[in-house]
This record gives sequence, C-alpha cells and structure tokens, in this order.
Amino acid sequence: MADRVTPATRLPPGRHPLPREFITQHQRARIIAALAEETVDKGYRAVTVADIVSRAGIARNTFYENFSSKEDCFLAASEFAVKEALRRVVDAASRIDAWPARVNTGLAAFLHYVATEPALARTCIVEALSAGPAAVDRYERSIQAFVPLFRMGRKVAPKGEDLPGTLEETIVGGIFWIIYQRIVMGQVEEIEQLLPELVEFSLTPYVGPGAAKRAAAEPPIQPEKSDR
Amino acid sequence: MRGSVEELPDLVPVAVMPYLGIDAAMAELTRESAAADGYARDMASKRKRGKGGKGGKGSEEPPAGAEDYPPELARLPPGRHGLPREFVTHNQRERLIAGIAEAIAENGYSGTTIAHITKAAAVSRRTFYEHFGSKDECFVAAYDAVMRDLQEKVTEAFESEEEWPQAIKAGIAAMLEFLASEPNLARLCMVEALVAGPAVVERYDAAIQSFVPYFQQGRDGRPKEVLDRLSSTTEEALVGGMVSLISRRIIAGKVEELDELLPDLVEFTLTPYLGSAEAAEIANED
Repeated sequence: MADRVTPATRLPPGRHPLPREFITQHQRARIIAALAEETVDKGYRAVTVADIVSRAGIARNTFYENFSSKEDCFLAASEFAVKEALRRVVDAASRIDAWPARVNTGLAAFLHYVATEPALARTCIVEALSAGPAAVDRYERSIQAFVPLFRMGRKVAPKGEDLPGTLEETIVGGIFWIIYQRIVMGQVEEIEQLLPELVEFSLTPYVGPGAAKRAAAEPPIQPEKSDR
Repeated sequence: MRGSVEELPDLVPVAVMPYLGIDAAMAELTRESAAADGYARDMASKRKRGKGGKGGKGSEEPPAGAEDYPPELARLPPGRHGLPREFVTHNQRERLIAGIAEAIAENGYSGTTIAHITKAAAVSRRTFYEHFGSKDECFVAAYDAVMRDLQEKVTEAFESEEEWPQAIKAGIAAMLEFLASEPNLARLCMVEALVAGPAVVERYDAAIQSFVPYFQQGRDGRPKEVLDRLSSTTEEALVGGMVSLISRRIIAGKVEELDELLPDLVEFTLTPYLGSAEAAEIANED
C-alpha cells in the first residue's frame, strides 16, 4: 500500500506487470492526493470531481470506479490519513519501553507526518470542519482513534484510575486544536518545533510536571528507517 | 514492558454516515418548540430593560416584567403599527434570529431555505431582505447574538468569584449550563457554524481563542517553578481540549450530559496552575 501520498507518480500507460491490487491502491492514493491539493487551492466546497480527475491525470471513469462522489473521496482521504498516522505512531512508539519516551517518539512521528503532508493535513484537519456533517463526525471520531494510545499512561501514573475519565479525549482534542491553529496561520511546517511543549502537556497529568519536563527535554528516539 | 502496543481501534468502514445530530435535534425540537420564541422574547425584553442579568436558564423562566404573551400574539399585526420604528425593527430582527435557529435545527444548515426561516420567524420574505442580504448573513447575525449572550453569562459567572480557580469553575459551569439549556443554539454555535462559510468559521475560531485570557490569568502570582512548566501553547491546548470534548457531546446529541463534564474539565484546566491534588479538590467540591 502506498503510504506516501505524493502527487506526480503516474503509472506508465498500457499493460502493467503489477498486481491489480497494487494498481488500485496506487490509484486511490493518487486520487486522494489530488483531492487534497485541489482542496487547499480552492477550498473544499469549490472543488469538483472534474478538478480532481484533471489534477490526478486520470479518466473520470477511474474516479467513479474508486469513489461514488466527492464526499466519498473526502471521507476516504480522512480514513487513509488517520490509519497512516496511527501506523506511524504505533510503529515508532512500540520500539520504546518507557511510557514518557514512548509518548515523545509517537508524538514526534505524528507531527512529522503532519508537517511533511501539509495538503492532506489541511484537508483532514481544517477543511474537514466545513465539509458537512458527515465529515465533522468523522473528524471527531478520528480524534477518538488516538485516545487509546494515551490511555496506556494510566498504568504508569501514580494516580492511575483517579484521573478524569475524559482526560485522554481532552489531551488529544487540545493537540489537534493547536495543530489546526498552526495550519490556519500558515505555520504547519514549523509544527515539529512544538514537540517539547506538546509532550509536556500530554505527560503532565500522568507523571507530574517534573518527569514530563524531563521527558520533553530528551530528543525523540528516531525509528530505524528514516522518513517512514 | 516491551511488547506489542494495545491493539489499534477498528475504524468503522467508510460510508456516508448519517448525521447523528438530526434525530436528537428533532426530539429536542418537539420537546422544546418554545425555545426559539422564548429566546427572541428574552432578547427583546432584555433590550427594552437595558442590560441587567437575566435570571435562571434560557427560555424556561422569562424575567419578571417581560412581556410574556403567547407566540401567536407576539407576532405584530400586519400593516402600519403605532409602535416606534426602532422597536418594530428590533423585534423582526430578533424573530429572524430565533427563526433561523429553529429552521436549522430542523433542516440542517444546507437544507435550510429562506422560506424556512421566514416561516419560523413569522415574517414576510420582504422583511427578511430588509434585514439581511442572504441566509449566510442572517446566520452570522444569529451566531453573533448567541455568542454575545454566552460570553456575557460566562463573564458574569467568572467575575462573581474572587478567587481565580473558583472563577474558572463558575465560568465553565455557566457555559455548560447555557449550552445544555439551549440545545438548538448549542448545535448552531458549535456544529452548524462550521459549515456556514468562512466568515463564521473565523468567528468560531476567534470565540474559542477568546477563552484563553481567562486561563492566562491563572499565571498571576504563581511561583517560578509553576510558571516554568507552562508554555506559550498551554492555554490554547487547554481551551482546545475543552471545546473538543464539548463539541463531541453536542454532535452526538448528548447535550443533557454536558453538565457531567464539569468536574473533569475543571480538574483538567486547573492542574497546570495548581497541581493535580488541589485541582481535583476544587473540581469535586460543591
């Protein structure tokens, strides 16, 4: 599955020795990339299927083989982005033993993804909110998908189960709001600089301010492969 | 403990999700169909009496001395009125504002037409266009009116307490109470606003940011070791987290659960300034 959504990679025309499934996934990824690019150019409302097919360099039929509508494509883009983000976070964090370092590395991977895929980030985090009720609902549920990752902190927290039930939701919501603001202000490329602050913000409720600050001061442990 | 991370949650397969709020909104609309009219009446009577706090929640207890006649009679008789022009204009504008709230609760923002609005407001189409150039414009006015009301209530509650932690608790409680008592308006502010065009989204963002100063006050007089822990994004993250939590409940139609969020929200927002023990104590005391 293509996990980098880069725009310009078009398959050569004609018969391909590649398995059909690979081609389909590649096409879907390319259409999603085109949707994201059109969305940041024009705003979601103004984008048409014609814009998307033109940008992706595909036939209109190909679009409709993959998606039933612009909205369907949009929802698929959101699902793709969330799954990919989760994959990168879990991949990075699972190599680490200690909870605070795990959060540091996981959050670093997430911010890196956002910073290196700005069109997709803007589409899923900013434009999503004005793309209709289904998109808003999906956005809220996407936030929920990250909650279990933080919930593990209760096992290492001295206060553990006394922590407020909604804590993880609030932490994830806060992080997304900050990212949303930075995207809107055109500062998404610098978002990785916020890592230490966001790590402190996330860890403090679990391990206290001192330990949180120490963990945030450590550089995140890089995963073995670069740029995953 | 090295090992596989807790399993990834399954995402529900992508499909066009039904808008979860519609059923809840319809139920609320049937139960509280007087809400929008009550809001218009309250606004009108407030304007007449000048600024003075309105007691009690939303539409259920109109303030003493308000002209409290049934909706049918609240409609102005057609044709020339003996009333001063300004009163008539204000009344119509407020009816339109209440009307759009009702119409959107029933039809969603995109599905609402000017006909829906004028019907709910019981004014003519011509009157609509005397006040507003478009649905979007009317919505912006409604949004501004509701936010003004909310901000007034929050500020009043906040300033009623001398100590900052209790002031924050009072402010959050006032916000939750307002949203819970006016489910249509809650949805309008926090959900429908986002699909209503860039002018409204800008206001939405600004409204959320406007809560930041209340929290920044928490830095006053704190010891250095506390201030060192806070960052430039602390208040933004706290407010963002809080709003996200509230939005979720509203989107899911669980407006009646909003009051339950108070202890968690107080504990979460006070912890960076006071430490978790004191924050928890304040959150859970009556």
